[in-house]
Amino acid sequence: MGKACLKWTMLSSLALIFAGCATYPDPATTRQMTEKMVSEDFTAPTPALLKRLVQDRSQTICSRIGDAKLTQEEAAEVVKLARASIQYPASGKLVGDWKIGDNLAHDGAGDRIQGGRLEKRKENGGLCQNCHALAPGEINVGNVGPSLTGYGLLRGNSEAIAKLTYERIYNAWAYSPCSNMPRLGATRHLTPEQITHMVAYLLDPQSPINKR
Amino acid sequence: MPTTRGGIAAILLACLAVGGAAPALAQADDPLGVGRKMLAEDNPGELWIERGKSLFYQKRGPRNASLEQCDFGMGPGKLEGATARLPRYFPDTDKVQDLESRLLTCMVQLQGFNRDDVVKRAISRPASDGSDVEALALYITSRSNGMKMNVSLSHQKEYDMYKAGEYLFYRRSGQTDFACVQCHGEANKRIRLQDLIHMTDQKGVQEVVSTWPAYRGAHFVVRTMQWRLYDCFWQMRLPELKYASDTSIALITYLHYQGNGAVISVPGFKR
Repeated sequence: MGKACLKWTMLSSLALIFAGCATYPDPATTRQMTEKMVSEDFTAPTPALLKRLVQDRSQTICSRIGDAKLTQEEAAEVVKLARASIQYPASGKLVGDWKIGDNLAHDGAGDRIQGGRLEKRKENGGLCQNCHALAPGEINVGNVGPSLTGYGLLRGNSEAIAKLTYERIYNAWAYSPCSNMPRLGATRHLTPEQITHMVAYLLDPQSPINKR
Repeated sequence: MPTTRGGIAAILLACLAVGGAAPALAQADDPLGVGRKMLAEDNPGELWIERGKSLFYQKRGPRNASLEQCDFGMGPGKLEGATARLPRYFPDTDKVQDLESRLLTCMVQLQGFNRDDVVKRAISRPASDGSDVEALALYITSRSNGMKMNVSLSHQKEYDMYKAGEYLFYRRSGQTDFACVQCHGEANKRIRLQDLIHMTDQKGVQEVVSTWPAYRGAHFVVRTMQWRLYDCFWQMRLPELKYASDTSIALITYLHYQGNGAVISVPGFKR
């Protein structure tokens, strides 16, 4: 009798837990379930474009929920991967044409997918204006990222600064792991040559960004 | 036997405690309310409400049926307060559904429309007459105007969708490395001059969940939450989010639950 009763208690408890006590799934289940959704819930003109949804290792590490902090090991891995990703232009010249960079900085178009079509352009825009203050007095600029006004005035235009600037645009996570800044070169949004023009736009004393 | 009863009671209490742990959310102060009210008084989106209403009661589709038998969770045809509780789990489809996916279910099952056809037309072209779904979604939501958003999690699939939505909100991918939180995780941020709503903040997320469908000035049409999500993924350079997909419903479940307590006021008015 006692044994049967115990068994019944356990069974009914289990039934209650499953039927009446639904609760949050654990992180591994959530991940598995949601990744399946992501793999099924988007369309693209070509299978290659669907791959944009697949996370690389750094993106996985950087997708922390809520206030979860990056561990030292994770940060080190992201930095290491970022450093390894950086490629320099074939010419070896890191400072290009600031006028081209100015246009790029104010261009937010390219590579979007709508109505089953890819927005094809020769080159993508640099997106800078969306998030950063640029030349003094420019109003139509975002503030998600820090102001870049006077970038070169503050830092000079030495070779070391040019290299640092190039690398920060190519892969910002080499210096600030998991920051909001897209890894514009590493994800192939921009070409190395385009980035040299943006370096020039930031550093050249003639660039509007460095005018007072 | 007392042990058994005691055990069950304890479990029930534990369940109640978990269920009751959801914080009672107070209505937010709204300093911008006056300006928004002024805008809303001239909101062209109002015109869509009447259209949505007549579409709802009209006999339409291959089955020549109205939507009066559609159950949005409060019983067939009961629209008062229905949107305030969406998304929720529906036993007949065995799915968690948001307003638009539920509407789609009814248009297919009751009226006999072809699902793909409805989906293809759901998001209208800018400066067009708008779609039936946009008008219907607005009309149905307007029947919850003045009520507080009150989404609950009780079915396991509701908990699952909530957590999936949270995961998606922070999931970075694509060539911009963006998740939702990159743009919507801090106060007083802008993309160029456009304000970004701070969605990890209660007031911010409440503003979102209570104002869609909304009249979008730049498009001259009423837009829905499904469109809002689709458009974010577009700008993030990701593939196209399928209309009424689980991914979209998960994000809406996450946001709506966070926004509980917000007083629904549609149509919203967006730039």
